[in-house]
Amino acid sequence: MQIYLPIAEIPVDPFVIIFMGGAVGFLSGMFGVGGGFLMTPLLIFYGIPPAVAVGTEASQIVASSVSGVLAHLKRKTVDFLMGGFLVLGGGFGAIVGILIFRYLRQIGQVEILISLAYVLFLGVIGVLMLVESMRVLFRSPQSGPPRRKRRSVAWMAALPFAMRFRRSQLYISPIPPVIFGFFVGILAAIMGVGGGFIMVPVMLYVLNMPTNVVIGTSLFQIIFVTAITTVLHAAANQTVDIALALLLLTGGVVGAQIGARVGVKLKGEHLRALLALIVLAVCARLVFGLVTPPISPFVIEAAS
Amino acid sequence: MRTFIAILAFLSTAQAQAADIAIALTDELIKVDTSFSGARLVLFGAVTGVENPEGAVDIVSVVRGPDTRFDVRRIEKRNLIWMPGETHTVERAPGLYLTAATKRLTDIAPLPDQDAYNLGADFLDIEMAGSAPEDEASSSQDGHAALFKNAFLTEIEDRGLYQDNVGGVDFKKAGLFTINVNLPANTPVGDYEVSVYLYRNGTMLGQDTARLAVNKVGIERRIYELAHNRPVSYGVFCVALSLFAGWIAGLAFRK
Repeated sequence: MQIYLPIAEIPVDPFVIIFMGGAVGFLSGMFGVGGGFLMTPLLIFYGIPPAVAVGTEASQIVASSVSGVLAHLKRKTVDFLMGGFLVLGGGFGAIVGILIFRYLRQIGQVEILISLAYVLFLGVIGVLMLVESMRVLFRSPQSGPPRRKRRSVAWMAALPFAMRFRRSQLYISPIPPVIFGFFVGILAAIMGVGGGFIMVPVMLYVLNMPTNVVIGTSLFQIIFVTAITTVLHAAANQTVDIALALLLLTGGVVGAQIGARVGVKLKGEHLRALLALIVLAVCARLVFGLVTPPISPFVIEAAS
Repeated sequence: MRTFIAILAFLSTAQAQAADIAIALTDELIKVDTSFSGARLVLFGAVTGVENPEGAVDIVSVVRGPDTRFDVRRIEKRNLIWMPGETHTVERAPGLYLTAATKRLTDIAPLPDQDAYNLGADFLDIEMAGSAPEDEASSSQDGHAALFKNAFLTEIEDRGLYQDNVGGVDFKKAGLFTINVNLPANTPVGDYEVSVYLYRNGTMLGQDTARLAVNKVGIERRIYELAHNRPVSYGVFCVALSLFAGWIAGLAFRK
C-alpha cells in the first residue's frame, strides 16, 4: 500500500513511516529525549526531501510535546518567566534560521547545511554522552557519586536588567537566556529539532537552574519555538506535510508509551551509553554520505 | 462511450481516403489522490485509408507534460565533502516525456522529422541558461552547457520521467488500435499534450493530438492549495492540528 504525500509529492509506504515514528518514539520514551534529531535524518534516509523532513518534523515535535508540557504545567515545574525569555530569543532565532534555510534552498545547498549541522551536533553530543556514561560505568566503587554544585551565576547577575526568576531560584539578567534561546531557535529552524539536547545542558550547567524545573521549562520553550518554526516553514518554504506529520505521530505516541515502560527497567548509565551509540551511528551514516562520491555526479530539481 | 462514437464517426467518414490517424483518450483527467502511485493511460485510436495497418504502418505516440524550469547541479568535492557546485538552469523542458512506438523511433521517422516533431527525448528542444565560472571563455561555457544538458537528460531518464518505449501499440480489428502508457508515480501535475503520428516507410501520413490533464483531487488538492495559496493559515492549521492530535494521544494513553 502507498500513500501519496500532498506536499512532499511522493508516494510512501504508510506502514514504514508509522514504524519509523514508532521506533523513534520508542527511543524518545525510553531515554526521555525529544527524538527530532533522530527523526529528521531517518526521514531523509528514507527519501523524503530534506526541506520537507525539517519542516514536517517541527510540527510533529509540537504534537509529541503536548502531553509532556501539560504534565509539567500540572506539577508546576515550568518557570514561565525563564521560558518566556527563551521563547522570545527562540522566535527571533527561528526567523533568522528560516531566512538562512530559504536562501540556501534557493542556491541548492540546504541539504549540505542540514547534514553538516547534524554531523556537528550529533558527533559532539554523542561523544560527550559516551564519555560521561563510560566514566560512570567504569568508576571505581569507592568514589562516591559526583556532587552537583551550583556554581555562582554572579556574572549573569551583573548584566543589565537583572531580575528574580522565582521558580528557578535565580537572580540573573534575562540577556543570557534570550541569547541561548536565539541560537537554539536557529538550530530548530535549520535542523527540524526541538533543541532540548542543547537547552537542557545549558539550563543545568550554564544558567544553573534547579533540576526539577529544567525539563518542564525546556518543553515549554520547545513547544512554542517548534510551533513558530512550523508556521514560518509553512509560510516561507511550503515544506510542512501535515499528512506525513500525522503518520509519524501515530507511530510516535505508541512507541513512546512502550519505550517509557522498557526504559524504567534499564539502568540509567546503560541507557545513556546506548543512546550515545545510536546518536554516533546516525552521525557516522551522515558522514559516510558526505564523504563518499555520489552515485550520480549530477542532481536535478525543479527551479523555484 | 463518447470515445467510441467519435472513433466510429471518424472511421465512417474517412473510408477509402488518404491514410490518416486519430486518437481519443479514455480518461481526459488523471486524478492524483491519496492512493496515487502512477497511472495507466490508454490511448484509443484508429488508422484509416490503410487496408491492413498491422505491420504495414508505424505509429508513434508522444505524451508530453507541462514545461518546467530545472536546475542541474554538479556534485563536486570541496575539501573533504561532496556538495553541489556548478549549476546550470534548463529554462524550459517538459516535466514528463513518454514515447511509445511500433519500432525504434530511428527506424520509423527520418532525422529531420524527429527534429521537427521532437520524436524522442534526444530531439527535445532544451534551452540552457548557464552560469559557468566567470574566468572561463565563452566557448567552454557552451561546452559546459552541452555537458549539463546531457546530464539533465540522463538524470531525468533515470527518474523515469523521460522514456522512449518500443511496443505498447496493440492493433485491434478494422484499423483500431490502443496504446498503453504507464505514467510513473512522480508524474508532475499540469496540462499534457498527447500526440500520435502515422508513418509508412519513413513518410508521415498523418497526425492527431489530444489534451490531457493531471490534477490533484480531493484532500490532496485541498491540502496542496491551502499550503500554497494561504501558507500562513496552513501553518497555523498544522500547529492547531498537531496540538489537538498530541492532546488526544496523551488522553488515550493516560492510565
